[in-house]
Amino acid sequence: MPVTTLLDELRLIVGQDHVLDGEVDRFGYSYDSSFLPLVPARKPDLVVRPRTVQEVSRVMALAHAAGIPVTPRGAASGRTGGSVPLEGGISLALDRMTDILEVDEANMMVTVEPGVRTMDLHDACAARGLFYPPDPASWKFSTIGGNVAENAGGMRAVKYGVTRDYVMGLQVVLADGAILETGGKAIKNVTGYDLTSLFTGSEGTLGVITKVLLRLIPLPKQRGVLRLMFADMEDGCATVHRMLKEDIVPSAAEIMDDVSLEAVARHRKMTLPAGAGCCVIIEVDGEDAASLDGQYERIRHVAAACGCLEFKVAKDKAESDELWAVRRGLSSAVASLAPNRLGEDISVPRDAFPEVVRRIGAIAKKFDLLIPVFGHAGDGNLHPSVLCDMADAGQAERVHHAVDAIFEAALAVGGTLTGEHGIGITKRPYLAQALGETGVRTLKAIKAGLDPKGILNPGKIW
Amino acid sequence: MNDLLKEAKDLVAGCDRCGTCLTVCPLFKVRDVERSSARGKNAIARGLAEGGLEPGAGVRGAVEFCLLCRACADSCPNKVATDEAMIRVRQVLTDRAGGPTAKYRLVGAVLRSRALVGLGALSLGALRRLGLLRFLPSALVPKEFPRKAFLAAFAGPAALGGEAPVSPAQLGTHARVAYFQGCGMKLMFPDAAEATLKLLGGLGEVTSPDNPCCGLPHLAHGMGATFLDLAKENIALFEDADLVVTDCASCGGALKHLASHFREDPLWRDRAAAFSAKVLDLTEYLVRMGYQSPERRDRTYTFHDPCHLVRGQGIRRQPRQLLEAAGTFVDMRESDACCGGAGTFHMDHPEAAAQVLARKTSNIEATGADVVVTACPGCLIQLTRAAEASGGRFKAMHISQVI
Ligand SMILES: Cc1cc2nc3c(=O)[nH]c(=O)nc-3n(C[C@H](O)[C@H](O)[C@H](O)COP(=O)(O)OP(=O)(O)OC[C@H]3O[C@@H](n4cnc5c(N)ncnc54)[C@H](O)[C@@H]3O)c2cc1C
Ligand code: SF4
Ligand code: SF4
Repeated sequence: MPVTTLLDELRLIVGQDHVLDGEVDRFGYSYDSSFLPLVPARKPDLVVRPRTVQEVSRVMALAHAAGIPVTPRGAASGRTGGSVPLEGGISLALDRMTDILEVDEANMMVTVEPGVRTMDLHDACAARGLFYPPDPASWKFSTIGGNVAENAGGMRAVKYGVTRDYVMGLQVVLADGAILETGGKAIKNVTGYDLTSLFTGSEGTLGVITKVLLRLIPLPKQRGVLRLMFADMEDGCATVHRMLKEDIVPSAAEIMDDVSLEAVARHRKMTLPAGAGCCVIIEVDGEDAASLDGQYERIRHVAAACGCLEFKVAKDKAESDELWAVRRGLSSAVASLAPNRLGEDISVPRDAFPEVVRRIGAIAKKFDLLIPVFGHAGDGNLHPSVLCDMADAGQAERVHHAVDAIFEAALAVGGTLTGEHGIGITKRPYLAQALGETGVRTLKAIKAGLDPKGILNPGKIW
Repeated sequence: MNDLLKEAKDLVAGCDRCGTCLTVCPLFKVRDVERSSARGKNAIARGLAEGGLEPGAGVRGAVEFCLLCRACADSCPNKVATDEAMIRVRQVLTDRAGGPTAKYRLVGAVLRSRALVGLGALSLGALRRLGLLRFLPSALVPKEFPRKAFLAAFAGPAALGGEAPVSPAQLGTHARVAYFQGCGMKLMFPDAAEATLKLLGGLGEVTSPDNPCCGLPHLAHGMGATFLDLAKENIALFEDADLVVTDCASCGGALKHLASHFREDPLWRDRAAAFSAKVLDLTEYLVRMGYQSPERRDRTYTFHDPCHLVRGQGIRRQPRQLLEAAGTFVDMRESDACCGGAGTFHMDHPEAAAQVLARKTSNIEATGADVVVTACPGCLIQLTRAAEASGGRFKAMHISQVI
């Protein structure tokens, strides 16, 4: 189809204002929050911003007929390049689809459009005493569609699981524009393959998510936040490990090492106790104040045995918010320490956490690089950040080796390449190593079945 | 690479493209495409510097579509100063285009000339006396005039280069206090300026030298040399004063920062530093002097934080404290979100500015306040419009008029 006709068609479908083709707009939709270079820009030819599932369906049908690549996009807060339109074509931005369609209090479920921001969803549910637990650190700006597409995890995964654990059903527009509904409100459902799970975490390569049905749980009545300081990561890890073993399950347990700690302290006027080289932020929840106090005491006991230097309970909501802000701002604060950062996202069995932290320390030494580590100690998911200056050729070389070594270390202790950020572009080279040839072949077969022309988010995952 | 472009690139180097700023940018709220956001603007600055984007009409449009309100920098985990970067990029584009556009040159010339500003005040005064001008300056004045005149409060705190340090000035009744009258107050709100003088006079001796523009509009629109000239004039003019008090948030912010522009200038460095150190915002001065309202009125106030006051000078508490003493005070939602005036922004992008303002209006209305108070003539113009739009549900006034 000639380009002008295509443009006109698209404008007819989504409205004049919602097809962007100016240079600056194309550039604006060429990147996400990953560590890929900004230039050369991977610009889409067009940005299309539909409002309804019918619009999405018609855009896809058109793209399918013309063989045009389509890259779905939420808020572009992804860390692995998922929404970067590698092969041009259409950047399909779903951030205008922002309605919370239904809060079904009786069944404790909520139906939302994909562009709803995670925090807005959380707040809307909380207002009715319902709890949507997954809370990636990007929850203020990431979309629920992006969360489902990446199967995002959050701080509270240790107790409440990740996005997948809440997705009950989806509406998905397939590559050719057909509209598929999966799952539903029935808790037990084994009718056919589990397509809901298949699309969850599919990184925009199998279909465009246009509606999400999520399960909710009752909102915990009380919540408390603690900040624990330790001399080093070993002590911090040991504390979390012992807590879990003694069946104290925090709703979150976030750990950060000395470099990460300093990075946030700089921004937030935090005073650190002398000798602190590791900070653990713990959230607990429960029915009432007494239940929290009980948990604080038990945690205090465990922490003391592991050499805790400082034990602080947030006094009020403002203090809790401040502690969380420290954690949520961490990723960016660490990034600002060096011209470039390659932030990784490996996940290991819980008990291997200290071991993999040790191995990363050794890798940093071997390649003479600064690699601060922070992560979700409670669930074994950690984010080593290789800080570097990629303009320095010698260093860039060492960085690549270090990243390889980090993935090797993760796999060696029984872990995996990504806990929550997905494969996208940045982890593609390691996929075969993690899944094996048969694993990759199976994924490709599914892809070929659903998107025979390969127009959906080409260049991602494999 | 052009030095300014390099500076812009360095300013945004800390941007992690995370997206936090998408949630606070008032412009992204009304036009939710990437280029409106701070993240988008940072990427543009980098794209220009790294050769991924060519400067053109699109780029120019995007970097000018910014209120320079600094809400982004305030919430950014890395404190990336998008606004400062945008000022650099604007200057680069202006230089490449061979100087500021005719409009800004004209504006610069008007504000540069004391005579013209004075004349403006006179002509407005005459109109007012004839009853042709309502309190709302934009209403009945000839269309052309306010377009030139509304330029007191350009640019956000960016133009200032970070929050101003708190003045170490010594206060006391014996201090020689001078009132710095900004062009906006002179042109648009002579009554409020008078009220300020009365407040100051009540606390001791006060002089009111015939000062020129603070230079912020020039700085914000690529006329750096004029800015420096004006600064020197002001430094010299106020040399005898112990304190320089202003009732314009933009002037205050600009003046407090003059020192930083003369750091490398051996001739002016010390004089500029001495000058900046004695500048105070009216509210800051009053609170530090322990000012008491003569009477408490049965009125409800809410306060709109001018960007130049709250983020430019870190002043949040003082106006509230004064208003709490003068009547009932209710805080509004998003009180520190830019009102959309932002210098010439509302002229260049009337639709977006109107949408930003509409949000402000509904936040003001939600408080049920009788009066929305502010401390910057630029904001006051916008808020007066808001008051009109609300059909008289509230009034807009300068803080000097209500305490
Ligand atoms: C500061 C920061 C902290 C973060 N913390 C976490 C964290 O704690 N846990 C975590 O898991 N992640 C985290 N992330 C990563 C990121 O926020 C998540 O991956 C998030 O789910 C992405 O959402 P998005 O709306 O921005 O999606 P995008 O980045 O726009 O897209 C991500 C992927 O999803 C696809 N996609 C988006 N919407 C749809 C849709 N409707 N249908 C089909 N495909 C779609 C895209 O094609 C792309 O492949 C963080 C990122 C940042 C910047
Ligand atoms: S400017 Fe700050 S808040 Fe915005 S994307 Fe960049 S790092 Fe994030
Ligand atoms: S300065 Fe204000 S308008 Fe400009 S990008 Fe930042 S938040 Fe948006």
